[in-house]
Amino acid sequence: MLLPTNSTSVGFQQELYHSVTEKTKFFASKCLNRSISPSGDRMNDSFRGRFRFCVCTLPRKSNKKTTKWYVKQPTWRLWGEEKADGALYTVYLKKVRYHRPTRSLSSSHSDSDDEISHLEWETVRVRFVKAGTLKKLVEALSTDDGELETTYINVFLATYRSFSTPREVLRLLLQRYEELLDAPPNGKIDQHEQHRKTLVSALHVWLDSYPEDFKDPPNYTALNHLLHFCEEFLPATELHAKVQHRLERYSREAQADPLLVPPPAFALRAAAAAAGWKVYKLPDVPVRHFAEQLTRMDVDLFKKLVPHQCLGAVWSRRDKSRSHEAATVLATVNQFNAVSFRVISSILVEPGLRPIDRAQIITCWIDIAQELRLIKNFSSLKAIISGLQSNPIYRLHRTWQSIPKEKIELFDELAKIFSEDNNQWTQRELLMREGTAKYADTVGENDKQLQKIFQKQNHHTANISFGTIPYLGTFLTDLTMIDTAIPDVIGDGLINFDKRRKEFEVLAQIKLLQGAANAYRFDADPAFDRWFDSILVLDDREAYQLSCQIEPGNNGSKLKKKASGHQKNDSIASTSSSNSSQFYCDIDSMPSSPHNSIDRKLSPSQMSNSSSNSSLPSLDVSLNSSHSGGASNKLQVPYVGNNTGTLSPSHSQKSSPDFYIIKVTYETDSVETDGIVLYKSIMLSNNERTPQVIRNAMYKLGLEGNPDRYTLAQVLPDKEMVLPSNANVYYAVNPAYNLNFILRPKKSEESDTSMKKGK
Amino acid sequence: MTRPPNEQTPTVKLVVVGDGGVGKSAITIQFFQRLFVTDYDPTIEDSYLQHVEVDGQCCILDVLDTAGQEEFSAMREQYMRKGDGFLLVYSVTDKNSYENIVNFHTQILRVKDRDTYPMLLVANKVDLVHLRKITEEQGRELAHKLGIPYIETSAKDPPVNIDATFHEVVRIIRNQPQPDHEKQKRRKLSKLGKCIII
Repeated sequence: MLLPTNSTSVGFQQELYHSVTEKTKFFASKCLNRSISPSGDRMNDSFRGRFRFCVCTLPRKSNKKTTKWYVKQPTWRLWGEEKADGALYTVYLKKVRYHRPTRSLSSSHSDSDDEISHLEWETVRVRFVKAGTLKKLVEALSTDDGELETTYINVFLATYRSFSTPREVLRLLLQRYEELLDAPPNGKIDQHEQHRKTLVSALHVWLDSYPEDFKDPPNYTALNHLLHFCEEFLPATELHAKVQHRLERYSREAQADPLLVPPPAFALRAAAAAAGWKVYKLPDVPVRHFAEQLTRMDVDLFKKLVPHQCLGAVWSRRDKSRSHEAATVLATVNQFNAVSFRVISSILVEPGLRPIDRAQIITCWIDIAQELRLIKNFSSLKAIISGLQSNPIYRLHRTWQSIPKEKIELFDELAKIFSEDNNQWTQRELLMREGTAKYADTVGENDKQLQKIFQKQNHHTANISFGTIPYLGTFLTDLTMIDTAIPDVIGDGLINFDKRRKEFEVLAQIKLLQGAANAYRFDADPAFDRWFDSILVLDDREAYQLSCQIEPGNNGSKLKKKASGHQKNDSIASTSSSNSSQFYCDIDSMPSSPHNSIDRKLSPSQMSNSSSNSSLPSLDVSLNSSHSGGASNKLQVPYVGNNTGTLSPSHSQKSSPDFYIIKVTYETDSVETDGIVLYKSIMLSNNERTPQVIRNAMYKLGLEGNPDRYTLAQVLPDKEMVLPSNANVYYAVNPAYNLNFILRPKKSEESDTSMKKGK
Repeated sequence: MTRPPNEQTPTVKLVVVGDGGVGKSAITIQFFQRLFVTDYDPTIEDSYLQHVEVDGQCCILDVLDTAGQEEFSAMREQYMRKGDGFLLVYSVTDKNSYENIVNFHTQILRVKDRDTYPMLLVANKVDLVHLRKITEEQGRELAHKLGIPYIETSAKDPPVNIDATFHEVVRIIRNQPQPDHEKQKRRKLSKLGKCIII
């Protein structure tokens, strides 16, 4: 049997018009089907794909359309390709059975042989657009019989931006309508009328499913074009009313005074005030609540994600100047990184912790990850796993040794979900199984810890249902690969529509999961947001440096060398010992420390791909500077483990970074923030002077303006110490006390004088 | 078809790294010879597995190319850990991608906790002669600084050096010096790596 599930066949037997969601369910079940079938059986698979595509293209005899029922198990045969002017078709021959609906309804529960004797058989020819000119693709929105082919229109609308623009498609669509007003050569006027009706339906679908295509202020060219068209050809129709309404609404929204909307910052603070004084500190946090809050953030972004921005032609081929075209994808990526970076820095940020205390923070993240698995949020789940598997955390052997064995097992089981083996098979399989399920219930037979947890949850959450947040990266790679592997145009410059069908299979899965994500209902917790924002973010280099301070390596030798920025020449020469290679470069004159010499030249902008969005640009400087540090440096962990003795003193130049992590609170006279303390952590390195530190703090606190207009003071038990305007802050602070600082605007005369001094 | 993996044949994990837009995916796709194949499906299990024979020895190449995920920077180290060898790809038409190579190189060494690791510097898109911004000399200079070999490629038809690139990384992996804790594994690999000719 070609159809694996009952739910799909029920779908077929109902109306021919399927909603996008129903349609995408077919793809999800199709993919489920695929992952179960042997992967070598590819021909069969792609055939099955086609089968699904043409569900709605059944030709029906117009005079008795209600009496025709489609029954599963048609037989399909590839007939061949057909060329026509400006288009290329794939043609299939299909054997279909028909029987009367009354029969089917009365005996639908029985599958007796008796029923089959009432069937009629027919072989029909079905053709699909494989490729075509844009004009032909637009014409194909109505089939040869003048029906609306819903799969086709869904694929077309989801992907056309990679080969055209809304304006162009609209122009061709309306032009096609006008052409159809003329009588056809064969005199069948009603056939043209049917085609026109279908085009109007297509416009409805377009307006409803992609409203953003028509939202181009201030002129709303496309919408106005459509309005004029309606006034001329379709006055007082549903479409006319819809377009008018849409246009009015957009102009009204544009006119709405933006000042009337309270700024989000204010709203946040107000909410914070209402929530009182809750402050979270790992590891003593409610893990379920944290998982829910992370999910709440992800759901917001996922529901806003515009699937077609994931297309290879948009996302992976975009250049930096056009990054706004993939803004919703970028927002998802940024959130993923933000979560990972928070995992990393929360574990590293207090270098003085005992391994057992640090282990508790890791355990806490594993517990949050476990909750995310139950909530089916694979995005933040992977972000946490990635954070824990990032080098600065992964290499903390002593810390990991302090974690209970079951937690390590649990972590391994969770990490296994994202194994790259067999092309991310585990993750794909899981997404297919649980994508639209109410709650998580898939677990490997060896996943003992997860099995226990699942059993426990099933007692509690029988009535709860969750959506699913996927890890978007796998879809992005699949779409990038499709975009690379399949040409945009074939033949004499025809648009390769089969490529778009392939892409739509991925987009449809995303859409399906977006629909399911509506099941999530988590209220925002301002205290969580405050916690999330207050965590210092380290870039990969800073994190590594901190990690090396905490645990300078197992046996010392290798890590030692790298941490101090040196390496032996012979290790490089040995790479090139291959004599079979014709590609080696000349290595006779290797400089003595190649990695580091380049390393040091890095500018912040070059590091941008690892730290672009979430860390302070200014943090990239100065970490490599060698300095022995102040005696009472809280963060500095003495170098241990240098027991190999291979390094000369001049080599072990103690390049351990010297910095403090300070908390900065912003204080104004404004009543608005009265009673609420919002602090941000920033990193303070040993050569940063007051203006730079103020700039960093302002950046973190979201303040704009001239750093000269602010002062920075350390809060001491009995007084405040205001930092001189150009002090080296690192040496000026008093490390004997908590490193709490207050940033405040200068009184006007103060700032005037400092401005003068500045000049 | 390359599956199922034969127990006798060692699997070599290659990881392709480099900025977005340098043509990583094209190199991978071209190697797996599915460029311009219409029924290409990126989601099936063996999309990126291939049997190869290099210098008379067989192995299964398992290629991890995360093209499209470059900006998920937080997960980069996670997949770097899994690689036996790396292709560091830049585009000769994109100066930034060239300058970023050093970051990937540093990060791999940090993750592997080693001073050297099997890597190959891949200068891609050499077919775009008129758009070329990074010369062969600059490429070799960088390779020299990093202490890794250099190769120029084009994934456009006709492809240049694509198979050679993957084979070369396999050679580099085989010829790498063996640190103590990995010796045992490697010895096993080389013993089992003999090609069985049927």
